[in-house]
Amino acid sequence: MKSRSIWRPIVLSLFLIFMIVPLLATLIFSISIRWDRTLWPEGFTLNWWHAVISNPGFFLTLKNSFLVSIATMICLLLLVTPTTFWMRLRVPKGKPIVELITSFSFGVPGVILALALIRFYAQIPLPIINRPAILVAACMVLSLPFMYRPIVNALDAIDFRVLTEAAQSMGAPVWVILSRVIIPNIMPGIISGCLLVFSTVFAEFTLTNLLVGTRFKTFPIFLVEFTRQDGRQASALAVISFVVAWAASLLIIWVTSKGGKETKTIIGH
Amino acid sequence: MTNTSRMAIQKNKLHTKWASWLGLVPFFIFGLAFEFLPLLTILQSSITRNGTFTLDFYKRAMDPMFLRAFINSINLSAVTAILGVAFGTLVAYAIITSPNRFLRNALTALSDVTTNFGGAPLAFAFIIILGSTGVITMILQKFGINLYPAFRIYSISGLSIAYLYFQLPLMILLIIPSLLGLRKEWREAAMNLGATSKQYWLRIALPIIFPSLLSGFLLLFANSFGAYATAWTLTGSDVDLITIRIAALIRGEVQLEPQLADALATISLIIMTTCVIGYLWLSSRSRKVRV
Repeated sequence: MKSRSIWRPIVLSLFLIFMIVPLLATLIFSISIRWDRTLWPEGFTLNWWHAVISNPGFFLTLKNSFLVSIATMICLLLLVTPTTFWMRLRVPKGKPIVELITSFSFGVPGVILALALIRFYAQIPLPIINRPAILVAACMVLSLPFMYRPIVNALDAIDFRVLTEAAQSMGAPVWVILSRVIIPNIMPGIISGCLLVFSTVFAEFTLTNLLVGTRFKTFPIFLVEFTRQDGRQASALAVISFVVAWAASLLIIWVTSKGGKETKTIIGH
Repeated sequence: MTNTSRMAIQKNKLHTKWASWLGLVPFFIFGLAFEFLPLLTILQSSITRNGTFTLDFYKRAMDPMFLRAFINSINLSAVTAILGVAFGTLVAYAIITSPNRFLRNALTALSDVTTNFGGAPLAFAFIIILGSTGVITMILQKFGINLYPAFRIYSISGLSIAYLYFQLPLMILLIIPSLLGLRKEWREAAMNLGATSKQYWLRIALPIIFPSLLSGFLLLFANSFGAYATAWTLTGSDVDLITIRIAALIRGEVQLEPQLADALATISLIIMTTCVIGYLWLSSRSRKVRV
C-alpha cells in the first residue's frame, strides 16, 4: 500500500510546479534588474513597474479594457436575464434554440467570428465596423455562455414555480416578479456570470486585434506591443493580467460557494 | 360549455403561446445579427464568384501552403489534446483520491482559475521560463542539457507546452465528475474476485469513463484548434497555423483575398463544429449513463 501511494505526491507536485512556475517567474522577472545571464536575478528593482505605469498608454488601455468589459457585461445582463426568465416562465420549447445561440462561441473561434463580422457588416450600411461597438457585440458572442450558464443553473436551483405562482397570485406583474422576486434569488448566479464575462473580455486579444486593430487599444494589445519592445515592462503588464484573472476567479469561487450554501438552507427549510 | 366558447379558449391559448415567443425575439435577433447571418455570409461568398457557384476557392484552400497550415493545426491540437487527456486524468485522479480535503479544494480551484488563462500573458510567461535565456533553459544548461537550438519556445513544440497550460486544467475539471462516479464498491468487487489493479483499470474503470475521455479529447482539440492569441504572441507569424493564416488574410498582410479567407474559415469551422457537436453528444450521453 505504501509503495502505491507515493505516486500521488509526485504527480501533484509536478502539476503544481507546472502551473505555478510560469506565474512566479513572470513576477520575479518584472522586479529583476537583469535575469537573462545568471540563474538568480542580478538584483531587484521596481523601475520597470514605475516605467510601465508612467507610460501614458497604461491607464488609457486599462480604461478601454474596463469600458469594453463593463459594456459587454451590462449588455449581456440586459439580454440574458429577461430572456432566460421568460423562457423558463412561458416558452420552455424555446430552450433548444436559445442554447444553440448560446453555445455558438464554443464552436466558432475568435478569428472566424472576426472575419464573419467584418465581411457581413462591410456590406451593410450600419456604421459599426472598426468601432468599439462591433467589439462589444463580438465580445458578447464570445462570453455569452459564461453569462447564460450560471444564470440558468441558478434558475434551476430555486423553486421557480412556487415563487412565480405566489407572486402572480398576489397580482404582481411579470416585470415585478422578475425584478423583485427572481433576480434577488438568483443573485449568486448573476454575479458569477458577470465576473466570468468581465475576466474573459478583459483578457480578450484576438477580436480586438482583428476588429478594431490599433484604433482602440485595450490592455492585452498594449501588453503584446510591449513583448516586442521591452520584456521586463511586458512582464509587469502580464502580472497585472494574471492578478485580474485570479481575483475574478477567486471571487467567483467565493460567491458560488456562498450561494450554494444558501440554496441548501432554503431546501432544508 | 358551448363549442364556441371552447374554441375561443383554444384560440386564446394559441394566441398567448404564439405571443409569448415574442419575448425571445430580442435574443433571436442578437443571434441572427452577430452569429448566423455573418457566418452565412462567409459560407455563401466562399462558394460564389460573380454570382455563380464555384469551388475554386476550396481548391485554392487545399494548396500545399494552406494544407500545411491545416496539418500543423491538426497535429498541434491532437498532441495537446492527447497529452491533456492523459495527464489531466492522472492529475484529476490524484486530486480526488487525495486524503487531504484542503489540498483537494485548493487544486480544483487552481484548475478553475488557470483554465481561463491564455493569450498574451501566458505566452510571455513561457518566453521568460523557456526562451533562449529563460530560467529553466539556464538551469538545464547548468546540468549540461542544452535545449537550444534543438528546441525553441517559438516553434510548434514550444507552443504545445504553452497550450498544455490551459488544456491540462480544463481536462481536470471535465473528468473529475466522471472519476467521482466510479464507485469504490466496483473496485472492491473486482479485487474480491481476484482482479489486479491493472485489470480493474483496463477492464472496468477505463471502459466506464471512456465516453468522458473521448468527449474531453474533442473539447480540448477544438480548444487548441481555434486558439490564436497565444500562438501569435509567442511566434508572430512564424508558426504556420490555420488561425494565423486566416488572421493574416484579414489584416491584409498578404494580398487581400477575402473569398480565400472565407473558404479557409469555412473548412476550419466544419472541423470545429464537428468536435463540439461530438463533445456535446458524448457528454449528454455519459450524463445519462451516470444517472
